[in-house]
Amino acid sequence: MADAIRIENLRKTFRLGFIPKPREILKGITFNVREGETFGYLGPNGAGKTTTIKCLLGLIHPDAGTISIFGRPHSSPRSREPLGFLPENPYFYDYLTAREFLAFTAELFGLGRGERDKRIARLLKLVGLERAADLPLRKYSRGMLQRAGLAQALINDPKLVVLDEPLGGMDPLGRKEIRDIIVRFKDEGKTVFFTSHILQDIEMICDRVAIIVGGRIVKEGGLRDLISEKVLFTEVTVSGLPPQTFEGLGESVSTRGDRVLLKVYDEACVDEVVALVHDRKGRLIALSPRTETLEDIFVDTVTRT
Amino acid sequence: MKTPLFSTRPESPRAKGSATVLLVVFLLAAAAGFAALKAATDKVVRAKLPGASIIYIPSGKFLRYATFGYRALAADLIYLWAIQYYSTPTIDDRFDHLDHVFAIINELDPRYQDPYEVGALIAVQEARDVRAAFAILDRGAANNPDQWVYPFNAGHVALMTLKDYPVAEKYFEQTMKIPGAPEFVERLRANAIFRKGDLKTSWETWLDIFQRAPDERTKRIASNHLYNVKATIDAVALEDAAAKYRERFGRLPADLGTLVRTGFLREVPKDLDGKDYLYDPATGKVRTAISPWRR
Amino acid sequence: MKIGAIAGITFKEAKRDRILYLLFFFAALGIAASRVLAILTVGDRVKIIKDVGLASIAVFGVLMAILIGTGLVYKEIDKKTIFTLLAKPLHRAEFILGKFLGLVLTLFVMTSAMTLIFLAIVYAHTLKIEAGLLIAIAYIFLELVLITAVAIFFSSFSTPILSSLFALAFYLIGHLSWGLELIIKKMPPGTGRTLVRALYLVLPDLENFNFKTEVVHALPIPPGIYLSSFLYGVCYTAFILGLAVLVFRRRDFI
Repeated sequence: MADAIRIENLRKTFRLGFIPKPREILKGITFNVREGETFGYLGPNGAGKTTTIKCLLGLIHPDAGTISIFGRPHSSPRSREPLGFLPENPYFYDYLTAREFLAFTAELFGLGRGERDKRIARLLKLVGLERAADLPLRKYSRGMLQRAGLAQALINDPKLVVLDEPLGGMDPLGRKEIRDIIVRFKDEGKTVFFTSHILQDIEMICDRVAIIVGGRIVKEGGLRDLISEKVLFTEVTVSGLPPQTFEGLGESVSTRGDRVLLKVYDEACVDEVVALVHDRKGRLIALSPRTETLEDIFVDTVTRT
Repeated sequence: MKTPLFSTRPESPRAKGSATVLLVVFLLAAAAGFAALKAATDKVVRAKLPGASIIYIPSGKFLRYATFGYRALAADLIYLWAIQYYSTPTIDDRFDHLDHVFAIINELDPRYQDPYEVGALIAVQEARDVRAAFAILDRGAANNPDQWVYPFNAGHVALMTLKDYPVAEKYFEQTMKIPGAPEFVERLRANAIFRKGDLKTSWETWLDIFQRAPDERTKRIASNHLYNVKATIDAVALEDAAAKYRERFGRLPADLGTLVRTGFLREVPKDLDGKDYLYDPATGKVRTAISPWRR
Repeated sequence: MKIGAIAGITFKEAKRDRILYLLFFFAALGIAASRVLAILTVGDRVKIIKDVGLASIAVFGVLMAILIGTGLVYKEIDKKTIFTLLAKPLHRAEFILGKFLGLVLTLFVMTSAMTLIFLAIVYAHTLKIEAGLLIAIAYIFLELVLITAVAIFFSSFSTPILSSLFALAFYLIGHLSWGLELIIKKMPPGTGRTLVRALYLVLPDLENFNFKTEVVHALPIPPGIYLSSFLYGVCYTAFILGLAVLVFRRRDFI
């Protein structure tokens, strides 16, 4: 499988201010995104995530390093033909309607009139903007703008979809919708590259991730490789028994009414707790093993760097 | 399984560099193009009326309001233009609206002194339009009553160019009234009065100057003029008498004494120094023995 | 075609700008007022109408070009709509050219509208339409096209206020070229004069597009100047656009 994105030794220093003070944002980024995979790009604020994306898209000129998209050098506009981009906050021409905007975007890809109209109709249906299609964009809510943004990112049926914080600022229902759409991309064989803060979502849908801290990639690899399957502890929720019952077996985290939440570190102790509940006629409400999450790794990595 | 269309070793820096070089070459070509075209366009002779549209502005009063408080600057700029305009000999009819142009400058900035003098200079020397010169200088005097140069220049023009002595006298009189006027202006006035033919007033004026003279030099000048006036008065009287004699006797008298003896003259006047006048019996003309200016 | 698509949305955006209609209103007012001014003059009334009319079209056209042109690129950068746009397979040059053509189209529409009013008033007075007036307006339009390119050039790297000032300065310099010519005539030959002469050739000479005086006075226009002025305008506009592309290509959009 070819690389959808290949970045080698990307460097960028900004010189801002009246008396230019150089700030090195990217200090030699190297990673690649294989075709067909869903890739998560994470890092704390200011690490250089958006700068990397802007370099990829040709919005910023790197000081050094190379970027190629499906083998084409990123400096050629043609490299963006198989690419669809959704920015972090939607910024579109507010005097156009969604339909006009999509028609304009289609023209930029050189799509013919017939194909254009077909795709626009299909996309408006996909993102749920059929009824609002002829309202000017300035009348749209933020959620609607996000959907319009998604539609314009898909107008050319891209092989590579680049999303900058697609889940930020959305309610849980919206986030689920976007997650479902991204999973559908994966089923269609599209490559997805996105940045996000919401690590639970990344954990759910990504194949590989890279963590960027202070302009450098500090961890890269498949999600399964990075996160061990090891169980850190098990959370047990019990009712009908006082917390003291479980002294020595687990840590009582909280008590509400007659419910007790316990943290049990030892696997063997979990069996004991279950047996104890059964013997003392208590009720076992919930039992959830907690494995290492991406968040744990993320926090650990960032604080260590 | 897609095979990349290009080699995976990206060649971006070179490609980008060549595009920039192409662009720079294009820019240089375009610049060379328009520079050459400009030179070519310059060669085409257009019927130019540079700045002629200024003639169609009604008056400086209108411009005064239109220039939003930059009247003095507007006056400067128009004056600068005017200098170039009037020194361009190829514009044949450039003097047609001389007074109008300078009127605009004067109305925009009445206290801008140069245009009055220069405008009058152009009017007299180049346009040979004395009326325009007077108009400009009168405006200068009206707008700057403390400046003696304007009536002085006007008097000078009247005296030398126009040779209109009453007008010259009027201007010199006006000049004298302005504090700071040079002391010789009253002498110019006196001379103008003499030239216009009013000998009696001329004598009185010069006498007054003589009596008030603050130094020897002025005294001497006044004295010379007095001598001249007296000589002129006397010459007129003598020649007049001689002419009457000729009417009577058919020929001019042999000497001045004859006129007294025959009753045409009461007495033979002497010049201011007490010397005799010279009489030429052939022409009947009287003149002084010495020049009034070399006494 | 991509440039056409960008020109299209630029036209849509520009024609929503209220400044356009405000300036058009004043231009129409100016042209109509010429009729009133004509009453005050002694002699040729039609001359005043033609003078004021042509001047209105020129002045308000330039204001339109500058006020709208200087905001065009800046707004895209400020409102960040340029991110999604340049993420498409588009050359940056196509973006600049598209913006330029969109504004030229807008100005064409506005100039045509002003011309119609102007010609109507002239016709009302003379009962004929002179080709000369149309030629003068055509070259005024060429001047507007050049000013548009200048406005867009400045807009690609500067704020609207500064860009407007620079564009205005370009316009003034362009009409004072004859002053430089006078200075050259009075300079002694040498390196100084060669340098000033080089400057004179490079700085814009917008008087090349000015046929207002000739047309109004019915003076003859030498035919050679039509082509050379037109080509001059085209060359200079191409130069400015090339410069804009050169600057715009190197920009980082943070």
